[in-house]
Amino acid sequence: MPYTYLITGATSDVGAALIRRVWKPGDIILAQGANDLDRLDGVRELCGDALHCYNVDLTGEESLTAFIEEIRRDFGCPTHIVHLPALRVINTKFRNFDEQRFLLDFNVQVLSALRICKAFLPGMMKAKFGRLLFMLTDYIIGVPPKNTTAYIVAKNALRGLARSLATEAAPSGVTVNCVAPYMMETRFLQDTPDLIVEASAAANPMGRNARVEDVVPAMAFLLSDEAGFISGAELPVTGGAKY
Amino acid sequence: MSEQEIFDGVQEIFRTVFDDDEIVLTREMTADDIEDWDSLEQINLLVAIEKKFSIKFKLEDVKNLPNVGAMLDLVKRLAG
Repeated sequence: MPYTYLITGATSDVGAALIRRVWKPGDIILAQGANDLDRLDGVRELCGDALHCYNVDLTGEESLTAFIEEIRRDFGCPTHIVHLPALRVINTKFRNFDEQRFLLDFNVQVLSALRICKAFLPGMMKAKFGRLLFMLTDYIIGVPPKNTTAYIVAKNALRGLARSLATEAAPSGVTVNCVAPYMMETRFLQDTPDLIVEASAAANPMGRNARVEDVVPAMAFLLSDEAGFISGAELPVTGGAKY
Repeated sequence: MSEQEIFDGVQEIFRTVFDDDEIVLTREMTADDIEDWDSLEQINLLVAIEKKFSIKFKLEDVKNLPNVGAMLDLVKRLAG
């Protein structure tokens, strides 16, 4: 059966690698990015006309609504939804908490997921099949690190959404899962000082940070047909650092 | 760059990172002397120092710094 994947944050390193991993002929990929769709040029060589790219600002309600309507009109209800986007982590003490920045990140990470799920989950449930997958972080496991309040709040809200939807969707056979990776060496870290990235690698029991190729197979599994009895999971991909 | 300029710059960074304008650095000072000085704040200090002095630390050079004096010496060596 061909699938329709709606992937937000698809232009990220993880998003592009995930498309390469899961796409098979007949499937449709609906890929959202924000002013960086050229990053999917390589993926287009693989998927051809099956790849549909959307430049959507997820910080705004109007653009997201238009995006959802366009998807609905042209493709109906996706079978798989993967939600990856987040603004870069700001490492700062709580006294410097920037509410405006937080709200932007909250819109991107949480409200956009909520609205997309609200638009499409009922259709998935009616179809008695669907996969939802959210990108979390291992910061949500155990004691969170200092100075990352905005990121932690947003990720835990997303986690709460996933857990709630997992409960509600389970009777229809729709699964809702999350991956919770260790610090992943991607473009997302481009503003993070090398010293922090190196210290993170040194602190990991396996002596390195996570890589895209560590995380994408775990995601592909949770999206697969054979993972149909797994829902509400938060899969740590941490090299044993947190679980 | 003079030792005094480095000292003043690093002290300013300590005051900012720990939000305490009364911190007066000494060469003998260690993480035991400042309550919030843990491994994460150590990284924050070092990253702020890198930025201020336009230098680059290697993790192996900074992971066993015994005190502020060793930190200042390292900054001086790298900043010239």
